[in-house]
Amino acid sequence: MTTYKSLALRGVAAGGVAGVASALVQLLVTEIPIRAALAVEEARAPAGEEAGHSHGGGEELVGRGAQVVGGMLGVVIVGIAVGLVFATAYALSKRWFTGSTPFSRSFAFGAAVFGAVALLPWLKYPANPPAVGDPETVNYRTALYLGVVVAGLVIVWAASWLAEQLRAQSQPVRTTAVLLAVAAATAVVLLAFPAPPDTIPADMPVNVLWQFRLSSLAQLATLYVGIGVVFGLLIDPATRKAKARVTEASV
Amino acid sequence: MTSPAASLSAVRVPKWAFAVSVLGLIVTYLVLQENGLALGAGSELLHEFFHDGRHALGVPCH
Repeated sequence: MTTYKSLALRGVAAGGVAGVASALVQLLVTEIPIRAALAVEEARAPAGEEAGHSHGGGEELVGRGAQVVGGMLGVVIVGIAVGLVFATAYALSKRWFTGSTPFSRSFAFGAAVFGAVALLPWLKYPANPPAVGDPETVNYRTALYLGVVVAGLVIVWAASWLAEQLRAQSQPVRTTAVLLAVAAATAVVLLAFPAPPDTIPADMPVNVLWQFRLSSLAQLATLYVGIGVVFGLLIDPATRKAKARVTEASV
Repeated sequence: MTSPAASLSAVRVPKWAFAVSVLGLIVTYLVLQENGLALGAGSELLHEFFHDGRHALGVPCH
């Protein structure tokens, strides 16, 4: 008997594992362009000012080493929190690939969440490294970003609703219709939201910018698809049965 | 052996599950988005500590 509590605990575990994996991608991949971007920022500061990343020109609140560790810790915390919400949404879902195995459902759900809350905002408002971004517009940019995230989640929800409505159709027709609807809705969101307000400063090298953006996307994919995969592994009875067979065979 | 769909509908989601989800969203907000709305002055420290993670996860930052 599956209980909500058992699903929630597995969500926490999946989020922790995916969060650690994503934090490692950050340490090994994303920190490289972040360091390059911070060097650009430092080159701007007048000589004599203390090196490091700070806002508003005041003294540094947190050193660079702590920022690297804190950033990784933040990714793990977000992973656990998202894993919990993911498990709850999974437990509530009544029509999400109901005919599939728990692993396939979880994997597809993770991929859909990645598309809605990571890939879609990444396409509309690409991630920017330090040294890009006007502090004056941060609230406006945050509102736009969250708006796209909500729009993405609405698209995912609407796609599952549409698939349910088209149950009478054959599977290929149904899949094609849902894909077309998702593509059209995505295009509307990308066109309807205003262009990113940031101008990329001239001293930011294009390769640093894109290395950072692609690293960020890799890290987001690790986090969200990772949660779907690990959660699927943890909840699918097939995993435990295969393990039980191995144990029996070895006795 | 019940089908996955049948075992799925057997999951009863208690009311406190929604509180747990809201908690998850609040934690995500504090780590990724908090810029002074909820914590005021303390948010700057929070922001700087999680700074690299915010950038890396593509969240708008300063």
